[in-house]
Order: sequence, then structure tokens, then C-alpha cells
Amino acid sequence: MKAKRKGAVLRVDLQGAEPSVLTTLFDDFAVLLASEDAEDPALARLYPAGYTDDEPASQEYRDMVMSDLRDERGARLQLCRAEVAVGGGRIELDDEAADRWIKVLNDLRLTLGTRLGVTEDSELDPREETTTLYHWLSSVQDLLVTHLMA
Amino acid sequence: MSAPILIPNREAEVEQRSQVLAEEQHEADRPWVTVVWNDPVNLMSYVTHVLMKVFGYPKPKATELMMDVHTKGKAIVSSGPRERMEGDTATLHGYGLWATIQRDS
Repeated sequence: MKAKRKGAVLRVDLQGAEPSVLTTLFDDFAVLLASEDAEDPALARLYPAGYTDDEPASQEYRDMVMSDLRDERGARLQLCRAEVAVGGGRIELDDEAADRWIKVLNDLRLTLGTRLGVTEDSELDPREETTTLYHWLSSVQDLLVTHLMA
Repeated sequence: MSAPILIPNREAEVEQRSQVLAEEQHEADRPWVTVVWNDPVNLMSYVTHVLMKVFGYPKPKATELMMDVHTKGKAIVSSGPRERMEGDTATLHGYGLWATIQRDS
């Protein structure tokens, strides 16, 4: 992946297998989101409690925000997936779209990070495919964030 | 002379009652805060960007808060009425940050 600012847009070029890797990850993630499995640690991480020590208040918070957060998460995922599908590897993002992309990349990183059991000082097995994906997503996200903040 | 035991001391009761009311008022006035907690996945650059974007903080302030999260384990990123803190927390949850609401201590 390469990224370059062209006026108001960020031009992102996906290379080689990157579009299909992303599409596969997006589709897997859509299945995970649709599962709404409350026991899944990745979903628990994506939808944290609103309060640390007040379960009734957390439940109220959940009732208030959960469906909006779910809808937004699903919608942005589909938008990014569509952009990969039509762009033939090239995606042009204005600031709003770039912001959406880094959110989606972060969702994928949070999910993979949970699956890998990432901690502050964990050393990930470099031979694991998931580790490679996780590091790649981190570098892509960092690249886009750096461009957005510049 | 010692205080009467069988006759209620109205004065003390009234004083106690107004003290309770004052405490309740103080509790209601205490603002709420949004706290961001350290987590091992979110990138430092991403957290800084989110704080700039969501709260409009200049980069130095956002960076300082991010470093507090990273080194101290948490940071208060906004304060105000409870409803607004719940809104801020929901926005941060949308970005995948680990945030919670609590009373300012």
C-alpha cells in the first residue's frame, strides 16, 4: 500500500494481493458483527461498558447507544468494502472517508489483537499469518493517520 | 447540664438534615468526566488523532493526553454534564477507544 496526498484527497494505492486480503478481512468482520455474540471477547472489546463499577448505568448506556454504534460500524465497513471492490486497487479519500477508513482498520486491529491476546509486552509469533496481518494493518493505519494529521 | 435524652433535639436534627441536603447538592454539582484507558492495541498516533478530531484539541494537548493514557494508564479527556459525557464516550467507542464515564473525584 502507498498513500499520497493530492490536494484535498488522499490517494491510496493497494498493491498485489492487498485488495483481496482486505476484502476477505472485511467479509469475515461482517460475519462477526452480525453474530452479535455477547460472549465473544472481540465484540466485548468493540462495545465496551460505559461505566467501570455500575452495571445498571452500563446497561442503560448500552440500551441508549448500542444500536447506533452497531449500525455505524456495519455501514462504514460496507462503504470501505465497496471502495476496494470498484477501485481496482486505487482509492481516493477525502478527510471524512480517510477518517472512516482508519476506524474500520482499527476495528480489524482490535479484533485481531483480541484473537492474538496482544498485551503491552507480548511478543507475537512472526510465523503466524494473523501476526503478519495484524502488523500490516497497523502500518497501514499509521500511514493514513500520519497523512491525516500532517 | 447534660443534653436531655428523651426529648428530641430538633436543632441538631435540622442541622443534620441541611447538611445532608448540602452534600446531595454538592454531589449533583460535581461534574462528570470521560476517561480513556490504556489498551495494548490502539496506536499512539491513532489515539492522538482521535482526541484532536473528537474534541478539537490542538496537537500538543492531544499528544499530552495520549501520553498520560500510555504512561499512567488513563486520562480524563472531557468533563461536563453526564449526558454529554455519555455522548463523548459513545463517540470514542465508535473509534474503538476504551472509554468510560464517571463522576469527577
